Amino acid sequence: MATEVVMPKLGATMEEGTIVSWLVPVGEVVEEGDPIAEIQTDKIVIEIEAETTGVLLKTVHDAGNTVKVHEVIAYMGEEGESLDGLAVTSPTGSESVDQQQETTVEAAPVTSAQAGDKIRRTPAARKLAEENRVNLQEVVGSGSKGRIHKVDVESFLAQNAKRITPLAKKIADDQGMDYKQIDGTGVRGKVMKQDVIIPPTDSGQTPEVENKRVPFRGMRKVIADRMAESAYTAPHVTLYSEIDMTNCVSLRQDLLPVIEKIEGQRISFNEIIIKATAFTLKQHPNMNVSLEGNEIVFHSDINVGMAVAVPDGLVVPVLRNVDQKGLAELTAESKKIGKQAREGKLAPDDMQGSTFTISNLGMYAIDGFTPIINLPNAAILGVGRIQKKPVVVNDEMVIRSMMTLSLSFDHRIIDGAPAAAFLTALKDALENPLTLMI
Amino acid sequence: MNDMRELTYLEAIRESMSEEMRRDEDVFIMGEDIGVYGGAFGLTNGMIEEFGPERVRNTPISEAAISGCAVGAAMTGMRPILEIQFSDFVMIAMDNIVNQAAKMRYMFGGKTSVPVVVRLPGGSGAGFAAQHSQSLEAWMAHVPGLKVVQPSNAYDAKGLMKAAIRDNNPVLFYEHKLLYNTKGEVPAEDYEIPLGQADIKREGSHITIVATAIMVNRALEAAEILAKEGIEVEVIDPRTLVPLDTETILNSVKKTSRVLVVYEAVKRGGYGAEIASMIAESDVFDYLDAPIRRLGGLATPIPYNPTLEKAAVPQVDDIVVECRKLMNK
Repeated sequence: MATEVVMPKLGATMEEGTIVSWLVPVGEVVEEGDPIAEIQTDKIVIEIEAETTGVLLKTVHDAGNTVKVHEVIAYMGEEGESLDGLAVTSPTGSESVDQQQETTVEAAPVTSAQAGDKIRRTPAARKLAEENRVNLQEVVGSGSKGRIHKVDVESFLAQNAKRITPLAKKIADDQGMDYKQIDGTGVRGKVMKQDVIIPPTDSGQTPEVENKRVPFRGMRKVIADRMAESAYTAPHVTLYSEIDMTNCVSLRQDLLPVIEKIEGQRISFNEIIIKATAFTLKQHPNMNVSLEGNEIVFHSDINVGMAVAVPDGLVVPVLRNVDQKGLAELTAESKKIGKQAREGKLAPDDMQGSTFTISNLGMYAIDGFTPIINLPNAAILGVGRIQKKPVVVNDEMVIRSMMTLSLSFDHRIIDGAPAAAFLTALKDALENPLTLMI
Repeated sequence: MNDMRELTYLEAIRESMSEEMRRDEDVFIMGEDIGVYGGAFGLTNGMIEEFGPERVRNTPISEAAISGCAVGAAMTGMRPILEIQFSDFVMIAMDNIVNQAAKMRYMFGGKTSVPVVVRLPGGSGAGFAAQHSQSLEAWMAHVPGLKVVQPSNAYDAKGLMKAAIRDNNPVLFYEHKLLYNTKGEVPAEDYEIPLGQADIKREGSHITIVATAIMVNRALEAAEILAKEGIEVEVIDPRTLVPLDTETILNSVKKTSRVLVVYEAVKRGGYGAEIASMIAESDVFDYLDAPIRRLGGLATPIPYNPTLEKAAVPQVDDIVVECRKLMNK
C-alpha cells in the first residue's frame, strides 16, 4: 500500500514550505530514515526523511515549488506498485488519476518501453520528448488525468537540461560554483554571466524591515557550502595573541605621506599586517601549506587572500608574492582589489591561488574572533581592532596601542606548537616592524 | 476592387446569378415561386422583370420533377440554377442528384457533363421547425461527383456562386437562412472564388477553429471574447466542403496544436467528423497538443420552440466554453 509523503508543519506559524530539491530520483529504493527531500521554511532548510523503507513512487511537486503544509508532495510504496485507488493530487488541482495510465513506477528502466505505451501524453508532447530523448515517465503531466502536454515536456527540459552560456559556465567552473542550483535570468532559465559573478555594489540601501525571503543560491550558496565544508572537515584550533601595535602606529604615521606621494593611496594597518604575515610565513613554511588529496603541499609562493565584505556576502581576492613586494606596492594593490571586489569587478583569477588568508574586522568594535579557514589554506589570521590600553611594560603601567590576532589552523596538517611559534614570530615582527626591513 | 458596396448575403447571390445570366445566355434559374413572387426568401426579386419568364422559370411543387428537369437541361448544354425552396426538400430530389447528376460524367467517360447548381437554403434559427431547418450537407459531401459549397458571408457568396455556375459539375450551394440579411462589402465587379480554397477569417496562435456556414460568424464572435482572456483563436472557413482545402487547415493546426471543429449539423456523422478525421490522419498529428474537439448540433429534430431551437445547435457561448476547455486541457 502506497503511503503519502506530506509537506510537514514544522512550526505553529508555518503555512507552506518550498521543496529545495529531491534527494532521490523517482523509482529509487530508500531506507527508513533516509533523507528524500530538502524543504525550506521561512526559518530553516530541513531534510524530510522516509518514514518507511520502500520506493519513491511519484513526486507530485518539482523542486522549487512552494506547497501548503499537509499537502501531498510524494508517494512511497513497494517496487512496481501502482497508485490505484489513491486520490493522487496533481499539481494543478485535486483530481483522481487514472492510475494504469501514468503513475505506475517500474522498478527497473528495462521495462520502460512497455510502460511508456501506457503514459497519457499528447502527440506533440511525445514528439518533443522523442526529439530530446526525454523519458516521459519522469515527466509530470498537467493535463486532464495526468495527461502530459507539450508544455510539461518543455518545462521538464528547462529544469533538467540546465542551460548556461559558455562564459557563465567558465566563470562558474573557475569558482567551483554548482550552476545547476542557480535559477538563470536568461530565456527559459538560462544561466547568464551575471548569475554567476558577484552582484555589483548597490550601496545606500536601507535594510529591509519586513521578512524578506531570498532564494538560497548563487554566491550565498557558494559561501555556505565552503564554510560548511571547512568547518565540518577541518578540525579548527584558534590561538590568540595580543600584540603591541604602538610601533606599527608610528611606522604608519611616518609612511603615510611617503606612500601617498608614490601611489596616491593611504597605507592602512592592513597592509602592514599582510606584509608582516608574509614575512613570518617565509620563516615558517610549515604554515604556508594545503592538503590536496593524499599530499600536503608546501607552497613556494606566498599568496595572501584578503577577505572583503561585499553587499551580499564575502569574497577573498588574492595578493600574490606578498613577501616580494614593498609596502607601497602592497598598499596600491590591496586598495585596487578591495575596490574591485566591492564593485563586483573581480575576475575569477583574482580569487584563485591563495596560500594563507587574513580576515580583518579591525574597523569594527571587535577584539578577537575565531575565523573559519578558507580551504584549501591550512590557516587563517583574524585581525581585531587596535585599541589603547593600559599595559605593564618593565613593571610599569603604560598606555599602548593593543590588538588581538586570532590564528585558526587546520589541525589535520598543522600542530599546535608550530602554529604557536608562527603567531609568536608574527607578534615579534609587528611589535618590531623594523625587522621587516631586514 | 475599387467599387465596393455593402450588400446583403442575399443580394450578393442575386447579383452573382444576374451577372452570370447577362454574361452567358445558357444560364437560367428555376424553382418554386421564384418569378413574380421572388422566391420564399425574396432572393430572386426583380429577376423575372430583367430576364423574363423563359430564363426565370416558375416550377410546379415537385422536387423530383424539377430536379430531373434541371439535370436533363444541364446534360443537354444549359447551365441551370435550381432553387430548392428549403434544403430539407432535396430529399425528394435525391435520386436525380445522387444517382444521375453525380454519376453521368463518370459513366459516360467524360462525354457529358452536368453543370447544374442546386441552391439550398438551410440551417435553423428562423423558427421553421424540424422539416425546414436541417443541415444535411454531409449527405451530399458523401457522394463522389458532387461539389458542396457553404458560404458564410456576402463576399464569399458572390464569388463562390460565380465559380459554382462556371463549374462543369453539379454543385450543391448551401445558403444559410439566418445569413441572408447579414451585410458585407461586395465588389461590383466580376470575381470568382475558386472552389476548394479555404479562408483564414481571423489569425490566432492558440486554437484553430474550423467552422462552416453561420458557425464561422459565431466563431469570430467567440474569438473576440476569448481574445480578452488571452486566448488567440484562428478561425478557418473551408468555404467548400468538397473539394476541401486540407492544406490551409493543417497549416493552421500545425501552428496552434489545438483544434475545434464547429458545425451546425447534428454532430453525429456530420461533416466536421470528416475534418477531424482528416487532421488526425495527417502528418500534423504529431503537433496536436490536445484531443481534437467537435462542437455540433444535438441529435434531435430541430425544435419549434425558439429557446430549444437555439439550444439544439452551437451558439457563441458554447464555442467560448469549448475553447476554454481546450486551453485548460
